[in-house]
Amino acid sequence: MNIIFSIIREDTFWSILLFVHFLLAVGLLAAVTLQAVAVLMPARQVAGHFVERSPVPTAAYTALIVVLYVLQALMGAWIYVKYRIYVRIPMEALRHWWTLGSFELKEHFVAMGLGLLPAYWYFWRQPLSAEHDGIRRWVTVFLALTVWYAFIVGHVANDFRGVGS
Amino acid sequence: MTQTLDVGEGFSQLDSSHATGAPTATQTSAKFGTFAITFGIAFTLLYTVLERLNWPLFTYQPAVDKLYFWLHRPLSGEGPPMYWYGWIVNAAIAAFVVGSIATIISGQRLRRATVFCCALAALWPAALAALRIYITGWATFDADFLDSVWVAAPPAFVGAAAVTYYVPAQLAERAWTSWLLIVPIAGLVVLGNSLLIYFVR
Repeated sequence: MNIIFSIIREDTFWSILLFVHFLLAVGLLAAVTLQAVAVLMPARQVAGHFVERSPVPTAAYTALIVVLYVLQALMGAWIYVKYRIYVRIPMEALRHWWTLGSFELKEHFVAMGLGLLPAYWYFWRQPLSAEHDGIRRWVTVFLALTVWYAFIVGHVANDFRGVGS
Repeated sequence: MTQTLDVGEGFSQLDSSHATGAPTATQTSAKFGTFAITFGIAFTLLYTVLERLNWPLFTYQPAVDKLYFWLHRPLSGEGPPMYWYGWIVNAAIAAFVVGSIATIISGQRLRRATVFCCALAALWPAALAALRIYITGWATFDADFLDSVWVAAPPAFVGAAAVTYYVPAQLAERAWTSWLLIVPIAGLVVLGNSLLIYFVR
């Protein structure tokens, strides 16, 4: 770390890291939301033949979502070190309890999502199993909810003390 | 052929694979499915339990950049501790072991074991809460010795065993993958409830 900090300022480094975390979050949010919406949409029927649920090849996003989710969790875990000292202590001092509590819950949302990733990946393996249609749908929706919650709460925490705040 | 049946068949196919040699792609896939589903249930359950008991594998002290094995209460000048990494790694290791064991036992035993563990996870804290209500509101003698997780264990084990015995095998089979949603949602309710202190200040 000292080598990096000899090239760029420490706060600039953390700001860049936070911004990359944000960019990856937008990508993950887009992919998982698209997939969740696609699995929730009713199947269309055209001239007696069933067509795919969505014009979007939803299964193709699975590997991307898994990779981005793990990457985001790792980046979040790294930035969390800085948050614990640099953000949370002033947050406590200024009595921003709602933001603090929501961020604590975010840790748990992300952990739960991480635990479900192997099963999520298995359910989306080709050929898709009709037997697992229901659980595949709701695990996807659950993952999407964890990503949305983490994104919103992370954004609020960033507004308290982060990039541009 | 559904994948659930494939998973179920995977167990019986495992026996025949000894005679024919290396496992087939279907058997490997079925084994991975069993592992992944069991890992998901076990991880989310264990994470909740480990967080509530505060049993991290290690504690990180970011202010002084130090790592301590298991739970470490910060010394003066060490700053705030971080347990989250320790809970996740602890839960992941334990869930990996549970998932691996799941691939070598029969499907029926696995479903029964899942019902037992989930029932135990719900009944143990419930038994402890009931004991505490009894101690504070009903006991006419000094019943503080009852305020122990180990005293709550026997009724919880008996209750979980009874639930496991009375749940029909077909229901346990059908509901198995549903635990993947029930456990994390229940876990988040429990963990969210423990954070209420932040929202009612």
